[in-house]
Amino acid sequence: MRLVGAWWIPALTLSAVGVYLAMQASSSEGAGRDSFFNAAHPWSVYVFMSALVGLLVYGLVRHATLWRLGAPTQDSLLAQLPLRLKNMTRLGLAQDKVRRDRYAGIMHWCIFSSVLVLTIVTAQVAIEDDTPLEFLHGRYYLFFSFYGDLFGLIGLVGVGMAMWRRYFVDFARIRWDERVEDHLIIVGLGLVLISGFLVEAFRIEVTELTQEPDWAKWSFVSYGIANFFEIFELSDSQILSVHSWVWWAHIGMAFSWLGLIVFTRLDHMFFAPVNAFFLRTDSPGRLAKIPNIEEREVFGVGFVQDFTWKQLFELDACVRCGRCTDVCPANIAGQPLSPMHLIQDLKGHLSSVGPDIQRAGNEGKDQRAVSPLALVGEVIKDETLWACRTCGACMQECPVMIEHVPTIVDMRRYLVMDEARLPQTAQVALQNIEMRGHPWSGTALERTTWMDGLGDVPIYDGTQEYLYWVGCSGSLVERNLPITQAVFKLLRESGTSFGVMGQEETCNGDPARRLGNEYLFQMLAEQLVVTFKEKNVQRVITNCPHCFNTFKNEYPQFGGNFEVLHHTEFLNSKLQDGSLKATHEVNATLTYHDSCYLGRINGVYDAPRQIMEFVPGASVTEMQRSKSKGLCCGAGGGNMWLEEVGERRVNHVRSEEAIATGADQVISNCPFCIQMFEDGVPAMHPEEEGRMRPFDVAELLEQAVFGPATAGGVAAAVGVEGASGDASESEAEPGGGD
Amino acid sequence: MGPEERGAGGPTDVEEAMHFVVCAKQIPDPETPPSAFKIDETSNKVVPAQGFQPVLSQFDGIAAEAALRIKEAAGDDTKITVLSMGAESAQAAIKQVLAMGADEGVLLQDAAFEGGDSHATAKVLAAAIEKLGDVDAVFCGRQAADWDMGQVGLLIAEALGWPAAILAKDVQIADGTMTTTRVLANGFETVAQPIPAVVTVSNEFGEPRYPKLQQIMQAAKKTVTTMTHDELGLDPSEIGAAGARLKLERLYVPISNTQVEIIEGETPEDLAKNLVAKLVADKLF
Repeated sequence: MRLVGAWWIPALTLSAVGVYLAMQASSSEGAGRDSFFNAAHPWSVYVFMSALVGLLVYGLVRHATLWRLGAPTQDSLLAQLPLRLKNMTRLGLAQDKVRRDRYAGIMHWCIFSSVLVLTIVTAQVAIEDDTPLEFLHGRYYLFFSFYGDLFGLIGLVGVGMAMWRRYFVDFARIRWDERVEDHLIIVGLGLVLISGFLVEAFRIEVTELTQEPDWAKWSFVSYGIANFFEIFELSDSQILSVHSWVWWAHIGMAFSWLGLIVFTRLDHMFFAPVNAFFLRTDSPGRLAKIPNIEEREVFGVGFVQDFTWKQLFELDACVRCGRCTDVCPANIAGQPLSPMHLIQDLKGHLSSVGPDIQRAGNEGKDQRAVSPLALVGEVIKDETLWACRTCGACMQECPVMIEHVPTIVDMRRYLVMDEARLPQTAQVALQNIEMRGHPWSGTALERTTWMDGLGDVPIYDGTQEYLYWVGCSGSLVERNLPITQAVFKLLRESGTSFGVMGQEETCNGDPARRLGNEYLFQMLAEQLVVTFKEKNVQRVITNCPHCFNTFKNEYPQFGGNFEVLHHTEFLNSKLQDGSLKATHEVNATLTYHDSCYLGRINGVYDAPRQIMEFVPGASVTEMQRSKSKGLCCGAGGGNMWLEEVGERRVNHVRSEEAIATGADQVISNCPFCIQMFEDGVPAMHPEEEGRMRPFDVAELLEQAVFGPATAGGVAAAVGVEGASGDASESEAEPGGGD
Repeated sequence: MGPEERGAGGPTDVEEAMHFVVCAKQIPDPETPPSAFKIDETSNKVVPAQGFQPVLSQFDGIAAEAALRIKEAAGDDTKITVLSMGAESAQAAIKQVLAMGADEGVLLQDAAFEGGDSHATAKVLAAAIEKLGDVDAVFCGRQAADWDMGQVGLLIAEALGWPAAILAKDVQIADGTMTTTRVLANGFETVAQPIPAVVTVSNEFGEPRYPKLQQIMQAAKKTVTTMTHDELGLDPSEIGAAGARLKLERLYVPISNTQVEIIEGETPEDLAKNLVAKLVADKLF
């Protein structure tokens, strides 16, 4: 567990301080207070309380009625209970995700802990009052008073921080969907806390302040306020009168504020930890299978009630914080996708048609004929769904654990399989996969073309340890051939026992699944699993992070359990154990681009960086958006085969960011990312002179291991004399490009 | 096959359901990479590329789309039969058109059909169309995307005695008339002809639809009948290689030998001077 930022540090520290101070109290015998001091009609509190509880129950039932319209989930959401409880603690209580924005993390901790502690404080008063238990006296009472004030103050700090961001600075994302309730919540909480202190201050003024000043100091905030009000020299009866008013105001505002839980995003205090409990326990790179697809009549989600109840439930967890939209590559490029608005639109749609769907069900009518708007196409536009890159940045940032990507893909499944309404370019790619076994329509290459000039290329026959899976992009897209060749040479050099499948390779189905053609994906996966098993494949090294993700996380759905490594992981291990030695200098400054499917989705950040560390002479500058905050190159989610709609292209945005580091080369690990940079860098830097060059880690490593003579691309880029490759190197100076 | 009785060749009553035939050919994949494309020059045949599956000729897919759009516009139970002359593998091409929405398939599979030219092929297809009976319109692609002869559609019409319109970018059928907008070198031309008629469809028509998954799964259940030359009452000497009038003399991949010499020069004037000097030296001037 990380120490820095761990929630339990301030909690324990404050507890220890409180205990210590309580121990120091010189005399505490008799400390305590009368419940409902000076309050007329104290029973009214119980009326408010009951009303609140009733309202909460009503709210929950109303929400639950809508959730229950959803379909059952495929996997049990109770499985792996210990992990789920841990998620609930880590994400719900400790709020790990909230802290990804440090300011918000502190602010939220202040508000959250204040509300929590003060609720416990009030609960203790109620217990003391209504049960035979008596504990609010003596040392404990002083400790209790101190804590109450301390967390009241912490709450005000949190409220202040929130107001600062909302009202005084230009902080955009919380205003993308700002509503009246947002002001009510924060101003309301501030008023509740302030009025609470005032009530306490006035009470102290007529009791402890004069009678037991040492005890009064434990309520240190109110003590200060009480002393301040002393300057007005009010009589006791006057103070009691004011106290009474403020007491009623405080009670009224407190219960109203709590009532907001039912009608506003404050309900996240319950829904977020529960959603954390329901969070998937497997990889975010794994999309759900459609079981018994041949027997179904409807595919994907075209009607809101076809989502699972969990997908409907989590719509209510959304607090409109905007973090997802803030990091969405499509949104950043001005394209028509905002994950937050998508979730809110679904939530609004469910609220408006849900009751009618329910009624239609009760009356035996067609529940799919109820909604005046088509979910897919009208509530959520086609272009919104196609803009998604499935990069997972939204899910990574969401502090309430909403899973946007499966929801989007479910709607794509409906578009593709049920409506057959998809952009022409995607249609071509899918049909190409069906007819030719790869998405690269028009390629002039064969799957074996990369083997030319490499000598004897071993074909996998079940006797080798590893299958080196080249993939479609690695063999059929010209730019990627040097990468494939580099990996091959490095594997051979390291003495690894491996073979390739050559012509027998076929698409593993990843683009089909991401685009929404689940049927095609399942056919391909089932067939390839059979092929792998026939060939006795056990360990696979992949060129491409998409193949890596699909084999590792999704093929087990089809009975294919293989040990899968990405080429960077494997090559790094060969450097670590000495099978590969990087001895040739590469004098270039590098920056590294984390591909989404290797990085954020599968957590492989270090292996490629460790490889770069092995390369002599190379220095690495990180981009600002790197590792789990890395910005997608734009090609994922099938977007390699979709026309972009919007202000800019995602790959231009990312290329710009890479260029801004000033590095000579941008290093990545994915054939899609490389293609995006090959297009984006010249677009952002039209002059060839001084232009950054994109390379794969393997190409970089190839040069470091074999030297420039065999590594055309990278060496030519850094202008090493004698490097094979393009003609310009005969004029280049050794020692690095500029 | 058609439930209604109609005179052969005359205009058809618009209220009765129509019957269309779509001719589909399965061809070697035109996207086969050049390096994998090989010709056996002794037998003048294309060597099937290993690992590259044959595909439906793209123009035939568009022809099917044309037939389907008319069926949808007519809103009735127009029947579409997809007809293919080919090997067993052509079942896949037929299934593809069935998935788009055609109702049944017919595969004309016989050794006697093989090796024919456009004329022999048209003879076979026309015989099948006559056997199916009560056909109102035949839709063909403008040309097969392997040999690109572009004659079979017209020759079918000739054999049947029907009118034909070729290179269609739009086709409508209403009130016993087929109206076709054709693509010319310098514009478009709209012609009308009485059905039954033949139309060949060009790529300007549009893209074939992407089938819904339901349709793909239903296609597996649709009937595909096979027929041989006997069932069509054809004389083997008039069909296939025996009936071909066009003789293929030689089939080969042309060798391209490109030599590039870059003419040097500092200015455009220098470059022109050096170029002329080279052309003169090579005796091209």
